[in-house]
Amino acid sequence: MRRSLILAGLAVLAVPGVALAQAPAAAPAGSWVGPFAVLVAGFAMAIAAGLCALGQGKAVASAVDAMARQPGAAARIQTAMIIGLALIESLAIYVLVVAMILLFVQPIQ
Amino acid sequence: MNVIEHPPIFRLPGIPDHVTYTWAVMAILALAAFIASRHVALVPRGMQNFFEVVLEQFQQLIDDVIGLEGRRFLPLIATLGLFILVANLLGLVPGMYGPTTNLNTTAACALVVFFSYHYIGVRKQGTLTYLKHFMGPVPWWLKPMMFVIELISHLARPLSLTLRLFGNMVGGHILLAIIFFLMGLDGLIGWALSGSPLGVVVGGVGGLVMIVFTVGFLYPLKILVSFLQAFIFVMLTMLYISGAIEEAEHHGGEHHPAHH
Repeated sequence: MRRSLILAGLAVLAVPGVALAQAPAAAPAGSWVGPFAVLVAGFAMAIAAGLCALGQGKAVASAVDAMARQPGAAARIQTAMIIGLALIESLAIYVLVVAMILLFVQPIQ
Repeated sequence: MNVIEHPPIFRLPGIPDHVTYTWAVMAILALAAFIASRHVALVPRGMQNFFEVVLEQFQQLIDDVIGLEGRRFLPLIATLGLFILVANLLGLVPGMYGPTTNLNTTAACALVVFFSYHYIGVRKQGTLTYLKHFMGPVPWWLKPMMFVIELISHLARPLSLTLRLFGNMVGGHILLAIIFFLMGLDGLIGWALSGSPLGVVVGGVGGLVMIVFTVGFLYPLKILVSFLQAFIFVMLTMLYISGAIEEAEHHGGEHHPAHH
């Protein structure tokens, strides 16, 4: 039991060293894509945040309505509401990731 | 990114930061488990009591979502949940680097979930039955299209798990880094220290407002988001596992999750 634990620990420690992240490339001076990328990133994030807020508002409104109707089921409704909110928010997070790629990784020069 | 990044206080040469701090999270969890299991008693006290409460919460979640037969997956679910929770919280400590702020760590967790739930489904029902359930309850001439749609949605799952955890953590960190940058010697505090009366007024008041805002609102929000994202990751894992298992009960059986 102890030997297999040691072997498992060594195997786990040996594997992750291979997963190296790559450094982002620097942008050359004077290209016009950079400013447009910043503009697009800002607008995209703003639109995503606004629409995400609308969706989350609807979700919370229905959840609170349901909890007021049936106070006994409040705990289960709250769990479902939290899961729903996190899933809606993750769509805005995807837009944030794309905005970060545009700003920091700058794939198009 | 260079202007707002700061290195963690402890670095191993030649090993990337996220690997080093993943080992730190593993060390923390192993230490906690060691302390909890030192004097195992029938009536639990101290660390053993705390961990029994935590694991019982996980078990209740599993009972609610997967049902009684999901209890064998408690080690996978609880390990994922505790690892992601401690990794998220480690990123909030000043001077430490959070492993989940790196795409590699979150992708690793998501890939573990992806291969796990497919393996669990295949082992439960056999490869052919499991693949047949991808095609859903549609007429035979729609089945190929349904298969492609299901395939794409299944491939989107690890991607969404990765990006959700990564984006939530990194978003908070970038916000905090920008506020530190605004506040620092190049920004508000520098303006306050520069001696001009406008600088003292705006820089001082602005700096105070920023400090109160960060300590009072942002940090508690980041702690909440850490817990929430770990919970969401574990919840989605359980939903995927229950989706992989439950196909067998399509034909006439009913699903009775345990209630307490």
